Amino acid sequence: MMMKWVLFIPELYYVVMAAVFFGWSIHRKGEPRRLFGWALVLSAVGVVVTLGSVQLEGMLFFDAYRVDFFSQVFKFLLALGTFWVIFTCSELNGIEERQHAEFYFFLSVCTLAMMMLVSSVELLTIYVSIELSSYSLYLLVPMRRQVDEYVETGIKYFMVGVTASAFMLFGISLLFGVTHTTYVGKILQVLPGLIREPAAVVGLVLALSGFFFKQALFPFHIWAPDVYQGAANQVTTYIATASKMAAAAMVIRFVGFSGGESPGFVYLLIGLSVVSMTFGNLVAIIQKDIKRLLAYSSIAHAGYMLIGILSMTQRGYASAIYYAVAYLVMTFACFMVILKVADDGHNLQIKELAGLHRRSPLLAMTLMMGLFGLAGIPPTVGFTGKFLVFAAALEKGYLWLVIVGMINATISLYYYLIVIKAAYLLEPLKPYPGVRVDPWTRALSIVLVILMVYLGIFPDQFVALTEAAARSLL
Amino acid sequence: MTPMETAPFPILSTILLSTIVGLLVILFIPEDRPKLVKQVSLLFAGVGLVLCLWLYYAYDVQKGGFQFVERFLWVKSLGIYYFNAVDGINLPMLLLTAVVLFTGVWTMWELEVRVKEFFAFMYLLVAGVYGVFMSMDLFWIFVWYDVSLFPMYPLIAIWGGTRKEYGGMKLTLYLLAGSALILPGILYLWVQGGAQTFDLLELQRIGFPLGVQKSAFVMLYLGFGILAAAWPFHTWSPVGHVAAPTAVSMIHAGVLMKLGAYGILRLGMTLCPEGLAYWADFMAVLATVGIVYGAFVGLAQTDLKYVIGYSSVSHMGMVGLGLSTMTVNGINGAVFQMFAHGIMTALFFSAVGYIYDKTHTKMIPELGGLSKTMPMASAFFIVAALAGVGVPCMASFWAELLVFVSAVKTYPVRGILAVLALVVGALFMLRVVQKTFYGEKNERWAHIPDVPPFLMTPRIILIGFILFFGLFPKMLLDVIQSAVVPFVAGL
Repeated sequence: MMMKWVLFIPELYYVVMAAVFFGWSIHRKGEPRRLFGWALVLSAVGVVVTLGSVQLEGMLFFDAYRVDFFSQVFKFLLALGTFWVIFTCSELNGIEERQHAEFYFFLSVCTLAMMMLVSSVELLTIYVSIELSSYSLYLLVPMRRQVDEYVETGIKYFMVGVTASAFMLFGISLLFGVTHTTYVGKILQVLPGLIREPAAVVGLVLALSGFFFKQALFPFHIWAPDVYQGAANQVTTYIATASKMAAAAMVIRFVGFSGGESPGFVYLLIGLSVVSMTFGNLVAIIQKDIKRLLAYSSIAHAGYMLIGILSMTQRGYASAIYYAVAYLVMTFACFMVILKVADDGHNLQIKELAGLHRRSPLLAMTLMMGLFGLAGIPPTVGFTGKFLVFAAALEKGYLWLVIVGMINATISLYYYLIVIKAAYLLEPLKPYPGVRVDPWTRALSIVLVILMVYLGIFPDQFVALTEAAARSLL
Repeated sequence: MTPMETAPFPILSTILLSTIVGLLVILFIPEDRPKLVKQVSLLFAGVGLVLCLWLYYAYDVQKGGFQFVERFLWVKSLGIYYFNAVDGINLPMLLLTAVVLFTGVWTMWELEVRVKEFFAFMYLLVAGVYGVFMSMDLFWIFVWYDVSLFPMYPLIAIWGGTRKEYGGMKLTLYLLAGSALILPGILYLWVQGGAQTFDLLELQRIGFPLGVQKSAFVMLYLGFGILAAAWPFHTWSPVGHVAAPTAVSMIHAGVLMKLGAYGILRLGMTLCPEGLAYWADFMAVLATVGIVYGAFVGLAQTDLKYVIGYSSVSHMGMVGLGLSTMTVNGINGAVFQMFAHGIMTALFFSAVGYIYDKTHTKMIPELGGLSKTMPMASAFFIVAALAGVGVPCMASFWAELLVFVSAVKTYPVRGILAVLALVVGALFMLRVVQKTFYGEKNERWAHIPDVPPFLMTPRIILIGFILFFGLFPKMLLDVIQSAVVPFVAGL
């Protein structure tokens, strides 16, 4: 019995971490610097804990909870994403000081929920995990200074999120009705025979819509631009990185479980992917606020990732995992620059990046590498991710989908170049305050740039790793 | 196929590393030491040039085939190899790159704005160019190809001239739109080859079915054709040339456009020979239109850089025409033209660059009589113009001769049209020379100093190459032929 609990260590650790900040939030005594120090240390230990448990394997809770290499890799990545986000909280100016303890509390709870999500293999457990993470985010988003301005954001996120949950529950109930089980593993055995039944396809699609909502795939994207803009910069960073990872992991696992390839289902996913890429990229072109721009670009990236997933091969899933990791690193690099340039916590406009190459050459370079990575330019990890995803799709013969994807990558280059132009070319109209870059941020920037280039150029072992994760999935 | 020997010393990787190490060293030089940045840049460019010259000397023409091979597995699950090798086709291209980089860096000696970043981006670009020319693995060719393209945006948008932001954006988007076709083409061939290997030579041995070859060739041809400024995808080229600063124009017109033609030859033609046979006619039409169109549009230009830009479209059309003949002479001529045109345009742009730096204009009507005030600068331009026109003793003469001989034989009407266009082109080039450098002396430019000896050196090196390969074409032709003859025999 003891052995079983070892499998649950990462989650237990985050329960403890959440409890620590819960205690603090009751006392209301935590001063920001001390809270930050604790959060940083605790989340760093969390990274170590998840890394240490990466090899664990087993089933928990009446087989509703599966610990495998796939889930453990994602738990590690979630912990890493959370650590990075907390790393940037040294100046948490977007949030009232008295709410800092709550901020860290909900961040821990949300991370815990997402870790549970990537391990859940039973529909109700999945639902509970996804709601736990959603409700933490519903509370994190409106937690911002000048909340009156952004109150709409919180309500909108909540309303759209709850609607998506309702759809998801309906889908789950349909799946249960068709297959008479809520265990995804058993559904896997039954579903290939039923995949041509409309109820099964509708159930699957509706159940997936819950994850698509988290991933901000078109047409479940409505919340993304407003939430990105309205939430405090750190919260946006968290939503854009960690939350996206968890959603991607779930879509991969769910589609992987669906097994049978009903043409209708595949065409539906192809359609979603094409529309998502095209819509996200075209609307991103006209954005002035960089967080909104990245929101639309995230919609497009959800589409790229789906290309790998809908190939429904091991290589496809592996490429999607690779892409998710690449996306985490690149997006975080961009957001870190935004956080540092807008260190008073306001919403950064693209034109405010003017002259960044002189205000902070290192941040300008990090931003450029991150954006080129998002645009899929080698030698960055973003290119290799796209390459793998497209290779998997072409193996299944989706030539046109790949061409559409590449055209989209070219379109996206335009708005990424506009941001790069602002950072490297434009002269500021009024003198902006200098950008303070502490040595830690400097070190993290360099690590991120090296990581982006290294994973892009030397992908061999990393690809082998994602393939091992994809194998453990099936 | 001749067996390949692994090189005892990885000279190709060393050439590649000379740019990457150069880039890193430049990044670590403090911002306030521009002089040092230039010296280091020139030093690393010089290292690359010496290595390429040695490579050219050491390549065994008698033996032919691929030499100086470096090959090992890079990504196991996809079959990606790190695979560098040279044969008669990419050897001249590597030399061209080294020469243009070296002279280009030297030409930019007087740059004062954001020096460090300029040379860093330029080295990144050239690393990509070297990489494309030496890689024999489709994955790496594509990676290097994109690496060579995206630094163009900052290079043009920051240091450029006329309509720089528009020109830079247009160029970058056009070229990367090209790669949007190349990547599916490459992956398509990989899948058709069993999804086992990206090794170019292994894929060549597979012999794809005709249907596959036809569609793959179109994707590769159009994708690379954009960079080779094949009509009607050329519009980015003159605009980009005009907007770019001198050294970038030199590298861009001299080397980057060759990447496109090289890609068509190396990937499109060798992997899809039957696809080529199917589309050759179409290719020849586009090439001829490009030659004629470039010559005539050039006639109407009043901006020196536009003149060169359109003459480049015309000259790159000749490369396309040569390739489309599928004969030994035609392809020999095309590769020779890639080399000759590269050196020649580099000289062109470096001559115009100096004139523009000093007079701040490149409009032909505003200049005039320059040969009296700056005889050396004028001489450089005139030599380049003569080379462009195809005067005997210049390298391009042989290239154009070879292309036309085979083109007239294979496609009589188009061949003759191309020759006529060349005459028109010659006419317009001479008219430009006459208006700009002879005639009324313009007093506005009387006080302007001529090219100082230090800045003359790179231009003289370029002239040296033009004359050397003009007088001894065999030195280049034998090398090219060693690769082209087996290729055409295998068609």
